[in-house]
Amino acid sequence: MAYDILLTIMTMVFALMVVFSKKTVVAAFSLLMTLLSIAMIYFQLGTVFLAAIQVLVNAGAIAILFVFVMMLINLEQFQNNRERSKSKLIISILTTLIILGVFSLIINNNIEVLSAVNISDNSMKTLFDKLFTEYYLPFEMATVLLLAALVACIVITGSEKGIKQEQEKLQENLNE
Amino acid sequence: MLEAIIEIIIKTAVIMAFPLGALPLIIHVERRGAAFIQKRVGPNRVGPFGLLQPLADVAKFMFKEEVHPSHVRPFFYSAAPLIALVVALLPLACIPIMGPFQFFDRTVYPEVFRSDMGIFFAFAASALGSYGILLAGWASNNKYTMLGALRACAQMVSYELSLSTAVVAMIFIFGTNDIHLMVDWQTGYWFGFIPKWGVFVQPVAAMLFLVGIFAESNRLPFDLAEGESEIVAGYHLEYSSMKFAIFFMAEYVHMIALSALFIIMFFGGYSVLPGLDLIPLSNPFILPLLQVTSLTIKIALMIWFFVWVRWTFPRFRYDQLMNLGWERLLPLGIVNLIITVLFVYFRNQ
Amino acid sequence: MSSIYYYLAGFLFTLGLLGTIFKKDLISILLCLELMMGGVSLLIILFSRSTGLLDAQLLVFFMIIVSACEVAIGLSLIIALHRKKQTIYTDDIKIITE
Repeated sequence: MAYDILLTIMTMVFALMVVFSKKTVVAAFSLLMTLLSIAMIYFQLGTVFLAAIQVLVNAGAIAILFVFVMMLINLEQFQNNRERSKSKLIISILTTLIILGVFSLIINNNIEVLSAVNISDNSMKTLFDKLFTEYYLPFEMATVLLLAALVACIVITGSEKGIKQEQEKLQENLNE
Repeated sequence: MLEAIIEIIIKTAVIMAFPLGALPLIIHVERRGAAFIQKRVGPNRVGPFGLLQPLADVAKFMFKEEVHPSHVRPFFYSAAPLIALVVALLPLACIPIMGPFQFFDRTVYPEVFRSDMGIFFAFAASALGSYGILLAGWASNNKYTMLGALRACAQMVSYELSLSTAVVAMIFIFGTNDIHLMVDWQTGYWFGFIPKWGVFVQPVAAMLFLVGIFAESNRLPFDLAEGESEIVAGYHLEYSSMKFAIFFMAEYVHMIALSALFIIMFFGGYSVLPGLDLIPLSNPFILPLLQVTSLTIKIALMIWFFVWVRWTFPRFRYDQLMNLGWERLLPLGIVNLIITVLFVYFRNQ
Repeated sequence: MSSIYYYLAGFLFTLGLLGTIFKKDLISILLCLELMMGGVSLLIILFSRSTGLLDAQLLVFFMIIVSACEVAIGLSLIIALHRKKQTIYTDDIKIITE
């Protein structure tokens, strides 16, 4: 119980830091910490496989991509100008209240169903038996999607025209 | 409950004392090995054969003045070395140093975190290894550190791919993710004298994994993150005294953890070395002892191999490194994986 | 007694949604999208606990794959935009309204 509350507070603090930190790099590292705490929650809930995948893919690859791109495009020149307005604040509070209200309604009305915990056989073998028999088509589609994303990234960023334009602009800046 | 907590504390202490205690010795071996390869004498003044030199170094690091530059980002500057060390120690939690043994009618598993997908967790933890370096490079607020960090990060992410293809191929061969079962598979002999190690089944995967280890731990043929001739010292340029020493420790611990994983997959893990298994098992405690000795000898040989390579090969150029990773090793790994999968499929038919 | 996690998932989703709406630079928007993704996958796992089916875990596994693709393509679009316009602000790229 205490462990649950501790994990929840940790995740909430890091998630708030993602949105409210002044520097975007700090926000990216907070996102990494949020993803790692979500992985810990998965672990606590007994889904060990997902915890491993979350650490391996989300924390090990996605967050690194974010930080890498931030360092490549030199974010220091873009100050995070956060203008505060009353309408924004009111909208935010209203949205949060509405969504959390809906959540508490749903949970309190179905508390018997939701509090029942039947964890079935959770081992790697049963999970992967299911993945490679029942879900083999989505799995193949996911691999195709990954390949398409790979090609798309190379086409979008690696075009020689774009790189030439950037080099010319850099040269102009240097000449000035 | 109390028993479990005490057990975990003892395991953690052992698994952390093992690499951290071996560090001074490894550094000594590195220096003397370099001297041996280059026909020099090496450190030989402090103590017999210079064995106390690492202790003198530690004392020097501790009492040196700590220079804290004024242009850094203070919190991340201090946090980066600790993150690097902790992340380097994490994969060791999943690595068993001996087989499960009976201790007063209960079976004790020697790894801190026991799971049926231990190898996954070890690699997930080792995938976080670039964060310490990236943070250090960014927090130091210096062009050279930033370049070094970006180089290290790109290199680690690229070589993780070919390394993973090797791991997946080995998982197909073993048919399991459990480290103990992997080691069981590799115990025994073919034709009575060849040990059943993974390296004889999958030499290509072993080669890929070995190259991957060098790139992941930023060791010499691939140590572009700290290429002295181009970017001064890379990511740890602004660090001095104990903080620099912690980065140094993190690099060596990462090396030990990755070599332990390599040995588990390709050289039989803690399975007893040929020759040592002739000793009769008269006492139930002899087998775990032999297993720990075998693993230590194997890791020591790996570390010597690291030193040997470091003082033999020149450094790669950066585009050569990237071409090697993406255009040679990754296609080779994928072809190897496809052949392995077909082989396993037709064997199981 | 893990019902506190339901509220956490809702909170993560709301925070990500508000950040996506109000943030001005594209990288922060992508970060907030990741937060929303985290909240949703946590909620799926929580709901699956009462049925005990393994399908939810596989669904979240596929979601993680898709979000990896999404982040990779989004970041490469940001780099391409930065090359062309030297900006990452959403206010500077409303060509279609001008």
